[in-house]
Order: sequence, then structure tokens, then C-alpha cells
Amino acid sequence: MNRKLQIVTVVLFVAVLFGFSLAFLITPDATFSEQENRSLRSFPKFSWKKLASGSFGDEINDYFADQFPARDVLVGLKGYSENALGKGENNGVILGENGQLQTRLFDMLLADRSVVRDSDRFDPATVQKALDGINRAGEHLEIPFSVLLTGRTIDVTVSASDYPSDYSDALLSQLRNGVGDGVDYIETVPMLREKYDAGESVYYKTDHHWTTLGAYYAYAETMRSFGMEAEILPMEAFEKEIASEDFYGTAWSAGGMKFVAPDSLEIWTLGNEDEFSIVADGAPLDGFYSRSYLEKKDQYSVFLDGTHDVVTVKKEGEARPTLLILKDSFANSLAPFLAQHFDLVLVNLSSRRDFTDLTALAEEYGADRALLVYTVENVITADKLWKLR
Amino acid sequence: MVFSSLIFLFAYLPLTLLIYYAVPRRWRNLALFAVSLFFYGWGEPVYLFLMVVSITTAYLFGFLIEKYRVSNPGRAKAAMIWSLAINLSFLLFFKYYHFFAANLSLLPFVELPVLKNLELPIGISFYTFQIMSYTIDLYRRDCGLQKNYVSFGAYVTLFPQLIAGPIVRYKDVDEQLTQRRESIDHFAAGVTRFSVGLAKKILVGDMLAAGNEYFKSLGTLEGTTVGAWMTIILYTLHLYYDFSGYSDMAIGLGKMFGFRFPENFNYPYISKSITEFWRRWHISLSTWFREYVYIPLGGNRRGEVIRYRNMAVVWLLTGFWHGANWNFVLWGVYYLVILIAEKAFLLRALEKLPAFFRHLYTMVIVTVGFLIFSFVDVGEGWRCFTALFGIGVTGFSSSVVWYQLLHTLPLLLIAAVGATPLPRKCFEIVTARFEKTKLLIPILCLLSLILCTAYMVDSTFSPFAYTQF
Repeated sequence: MNRKLQIVTVVLFVAVLFGFSLAFLITPDATFSEQENRSLRSFPKFSWKKLASGSFGDEINDYFADQFPARDVLVGLKGYSENALGKGENNGVILGENGQLQTRLFDMLLADRSVVRDSDRFDPATVQKALDGINRAGEHLEIPFSVLLTGRTIDVTVSASDYPSDYSDALLSQLRNGVGDGVDYIETVPMLREKYDAGESVYYKTDHHWTTLGAYYAYAETMRSFGMEAEILPMEAFEKEIASEDFYGTAWSAGGMKFVAPDSLEIWTLGNEDEFSIVADGAPLDGFYSRSYLEKKDQYSVFLDGTHDVVTVKKEGEARPTLLILKDSFANSLAPFLAQHFDLVLVNLSSRRDFTDLTALAEEYGADRALLVYTVENVITADKLWKLR
Repeated sequence: MVFSSLIFLFAYLPLTLLIYYAVPRRWRNLALFAVSLFFYGWGEPVYLFLMVVSITTAYLFGFLIEKYRVSNPGRAKAAMIWSLAINLSFLLFFKYYHFFAANLSLLPFVELPVLKNLELPIGISFYTFQIMSYTIDLYRRDCGLQKNYVSFGAYVTLFPQLIAGPIVRYKDVDEQLTQRRESIDHFAAGVTRFSVGLAKKILVGDMLAAGNEYFKSLGTLEGTTVGAWMTIILYTLHLYYDFSGYSDMAIGLGKMFGFRFPENFNYPYISKSITEFWRRWHISLSTWFREYVYIPLGGNRRGEVIRYRNMAVVWLLTGFWHGANWNFVLWGVYYLVILIAEKAFLLRALEKLPAFFRHLYTMVIVTVGFLIFSFVDVGEGWRCFTALFGIGVTGFSSSVVWYQLLHTLPLLLIAAVGATPLPRKCFEIVTARFEKTKLLIPILCLLSLILCTAYMVDSTFSPFAYTQF
């Protein structure tokens, strides 16, 4: 190297070092990342104990990563680079055909409650414990009980990448075969796979949820399973509004592949939505859709106002049977369809509060039917179903 | 603190450079000593004290050795042995207590208490060996007495090589401690070396580690032959990129502050025999054992039997140095057996083979060696070993294993080619031919730095394998 080149090398290096550290000092701390939809860490509280154990240093490092200048750009840069390397995935999110993102790695919960991070497997013993809970609840309940275990994106959009479906198939067949006689098993994944393969957008490309169309198909399947096939509202009856064309979901955030195009999000209405009164955790909601979320990153929360512990839906001046839905967020876009036939009580099983005593809940709300809407992701990563009764 | 962290690159390093170059020359060792203590204390504040005691012991005993070196060699020797014994006892206690307690308790009537809070002080194996090299070099008159506590402290704690080497022998840096010249060309060479090391560690090493973790955890649930091979091949490559990347960064940082550290790796995976491999892998450790154990025991000058005994001592120690577990002892014995075989007859036989088979032989031995090395649980390691040959597996491969293999292949190829001198040679030929292409050097450094920063920002997973030693 000649002298000029040496100077350039040194100057560039020093400039990057000091450039980033000065930018870090100057820019004020952000508290929330819109792109990642999570709170960012702030400067850790100092304590001698943390200093002595060395954990203060770790916390500072995490803080540094979260508040790093141009974080979003850098995260995107890594997404590009990983993709260019032919891995076809980043942070456990596969980039499939037509920009279909598929989260592949999850924190697998083992039956002894230890966790294997970033695994694409599931522990059959864990799944069995969940099935035991479901079957126990089925025995205790005196009303009809159905379960709808929703697929992950990777279970449904199989054809979008070369990732094999062996684990998905094994998981679904264990669930199908493990549900006891007293429980109705509503199968949706094979049907949604077919629809997806036929080119229908039943799951979002960038989010882990089903689309409104996917939720509609699941609704129809549920009605059939209830023996109410005749009452299924035809797809054409709904007014379909594209409420957003810039929905960047959870898989997009995790995958860091910023070049992937956003989803559009549809709201389907029948025209009678005003006739429902909806109460979420004691406070009334202004309809099924909270449109303020469309201005934010987390647009799926437009359905039933995102996360609440208990949501009730009643139709004014009409006595209808009550459907108790023990659920996670997949049920939020399914509920507006079912609400056309039932008064609903939606109880969030993923809540910090313990809602595992389904039998007691059914009594409390005077339910005529119970339905579990729960994603298989939660079946393999969480222990809520183990205690179901 | 580790080099491959944001806090190091964008807070610690700029500040350190600023302080170092702002103070007058005579204060620079003090500046280095102070920032290095901070570097160490960041992750291990409690053990800072232990390290300072180790340094002070060797420093003080140095005066005794110097005093009696001529007048009373017996006393000088005693002083040396005391100094070594004290330092070694720290290493033995903090690194090996759990191991001895667990194994001795298997004997009847022996019950050693379990010390729950006893953790391995980071880098203790490295800095203890550096401290010992001073004591021995001084006794052998390979260096002079270091009267300046700050200079000696700076030698031991020098943050670039503190926690993972290269293990710098005192006589190699004796002069540099007082008479080193920082310069632009040194600094620029340091920057390029550091950038290469950072990229090796973060862009390749960590990615290989993630792949290895994946196959390893898959293997515990459903072992496949292909999966087992992938586990150890990825581990073997990962270890090289991780460790040699770290050494590159250390050497590069040393250059930024005017030091010349010894090389630690010389393309070990192109070796044609295990004897050659150990001349190319972790050179500073092999050199240490040769200089301070093998040769003092008589080396190979006192007949075949003594020579094999000396090899046995060195390889048991080398294995055990890497960790307080039976698998590391086994790993040492494994290499002992192979090296003796090579010395006795194998090398001569190998020479008749085409180069390809000699490479293959070496890499299979090395890869299986790192299998022993990577499984602290010997039983688990054995299961992985048998899986290599299709014993106790659920199948030859599975669809998910093929998928993962296919998508790791580009990284594997890059890693394999990058472990040979080929990229470097190509770069040298091109830059020699076309002068202008030298402009690529600063550009590639910049690119490495930015890209590695991106990976650090988006990652919570970046363990450094060698800090556990």
C-alpha cells in the first residue's frame, strides 16, 4: 500500500468508528420501533450487583443494539446480504415465491418445560399434553365443544418454497388423531393449502395470520362442523373494502428483508355492523374494526381492537345462542363472521390471566357452545392448553 | 468485552484510541494498562482482583529471580518455582476445581464441597501462560528484569490479546513495551487485518455456528448420517473462523497501537499431515508448550522413550488446557496417539500417497478430533460419532436435513475456499497486475465494517467459542 492509500484506510476506519458513536450520542433514544413493532430498550438502571455479575455490561450492549443509529437500514442490509448468500432466509424467516414470508424457526417447548430455541421441530410429548387438556375439557363440558387449531404460515403456504412439509404434516396428523370423541375437530389446513395453491390469498405474505378471505373459509368450515351449513353467508353477500395496502406484518419485521412488498388488508362488511354492541374488557368498542390501527405498523389489530382479555359481542334486540370462544389472535378476524349467528364471548387464552378453566367460563357466561381457536404455533411453544379443563 | 460487539467497536475502541494517542508517549503504557483493566472488568469485575494479584506476584518474584540469578542459582530457581506455583494454583483452582471435586468424589471417603459461585474467570488460561512466560524467560536470561509495574501490567493485560491470545511470550515483546513506534503504515495494516478478522468472525464464523447449533439440536431428536456429518463439518469450519478471526482482530488491534504480535494461524486446513496441522493451528499455544514444557523435559534429544514421554506430557496438558472435562483429555490423547503414529511410521507411508489423500486423511482426523472437542458430554459425542457411520440413526438423511444442507451450501463453499490461501493469492496477483485495484483495500475494509455492524445490530447470537478457556 502506498502512503495515500494507507491514510485513506485509516481515515475511513476512524471516521466510521467515531461517526457512529457520535451519531449515537446525538440522536435521542427512541422508545418504540414501528418497523419491528416492539419497545426498544432504554439505558439500563445501574446497580452494583449487576455490575459485579457482569450483567450490566450485557444490558448496555443490548441497549446499544436497540438504539443504534440507522438501525432499520442496517437490519435491512443484513436481510439483503443473507438473501444474496442463497440462504433464502434470514432470522428463521424463509423468503418464498411472490414475496411469501414463512416463519420457520420457533422456540420449541419440551414436555419437561425446557425450551429449544430456533427449532423447526415440535415435541410430540408437548403436543400430547395439549391434547390431554383439550380432551379433558371435552369431558367436563356439558355443551358441544369444537376445536379449530389454525395453521402457521409454514403449514399452509407449503408450495411457496422448497421447505419440506414433513413436520407440518406430522404435527397436524398428531392433532387430528389425538382429539377425543367428545370434541369436534375442525380441519382447516388442508383446505387452506388447496386454496393457497389455487392462487387465493388466504394467509398474509408478511404476517403470521390468515387474511380476511382465509378467515371466511375457516368460518364456513366451522359452520359446517356446527351442522349449520345452510346458514353460511355466501362470499358475495359481503362488501369487500381494501382498508390498507401497506400492511407490513410480523414475519416482515422478524425477517428483516425490507425489499419484500407489503400486504393489503381487507375488511368485509355485510351492512348490519351497527346493530352489534361490542364490549372489550368492560369498555365499549366502536364496532368490529378499530381503524386507527391502520395508521400504525400493527395493522392486524384493526380486528376487534387487538389484544383484550374478554370481548363480548351482542346483537341488539335479538335473543341468540351464545358461543364461547377460547382463542388467540386468529379468532379476531374470524369473529365478525361468527357474530352474524351467535352472541360471542371471546376469551384470550394467551392472556397473563389464567383462563384455562373452560368449564367454569362456560357456566359463567351461560354459553351454548364452546370453540377453541388456537394456532398450532402456540400448541408447540406454550403450555396454556396443558391445564385446560 | 469481546471485539465483535457494538459497545467495543463504537464506544470502547474510539475512546481508547483517543486516549492513547492524546497522551504523551511515556504515559501510553499506563493508558493501555488502565483501559485494558476496564476492558477486563466490564465482563468480570470480580476477577479483576485475581488478575492483579497474579500480575503482582510474578512482578515481585521477578526481583528475587534477578537478585539471585548469578549469586545463588538455587534460590533463583526456588523463586521461579514459587512464582509459577502461585500462578498455576490460581489456574488450577478456578478452572479445574469443579472437575477434580466431581471426579474425586467418586472415590470412597472423599467428599469435596461443591462451590456453586465459582465461575471460570475469562481468559485465565491465556493470561496465566503469559505471566508464566515472563518468569521463565527471566530465569533463563532470555529477557531482562521488568522494573516498571505499569509496563509489566500492560504486557499481561493488553486488551487485544487478553482473553483469547495469541499467547505472547514475554521475550517477544520485551523491547516493544518500551520502544515501539506507532505509524500510519502500521495502523493501516492493523485496520485491514482487523477488518478481515471481524468479517471472518461475524459474517462467516457466527453463521457457521448457527448452522452447527441447528444440526446439533436436530441430531438429539432424530439423528441422521448426513446431519451428523454436517454438525461436525460446520463445527470444524466455525472453530477456525471464530478463533482465527479473533486472532486476526487481536493482531490488527496490536498493530494500531504499535505492537507486533506473533501469528497464531497459518491456513491449518491445508495441512497434509497432523504433524503439519499442529504447526499451523493455534501456533502460539504449541510454541508455548514446546518452549516451556517439551524442550525443558529434554525434547527429542534424549532417546525415543523420553521423547514419547515428553510428547505424552505435552498432549495431555494441551488437551486439559482447553477445558476441565474428560472430552478435552480424550482429545489430547487422540492427538498424542496419532502424532506418535505419524512420527513412528505414518508420515513415511503418507508421503507416498497423492496430495489429495493426504489432505483427506488430515481433515478427517481433524474433523473427528473436533467432534470429541465439541461434545462436553462424552456420551453425546459418542452418539454423534456412531451416527457418522449410520449407527443408531433414524435414517440416512431427511427432507429437512437436505433442505438445510442445500441452503447452507453457498456458505460452506465460501468458508472452505476462504480457509485456503487461494483468495489471498488471487488478490495479490490482481493488485500486483493492476495498481488501481489497490483502491479496493480501503473500500473492502469499509464494507466489512458496515456489514459486520449490520449483523451485530440484528443479532443477539454471537458467542465466542474460545472465551471459555
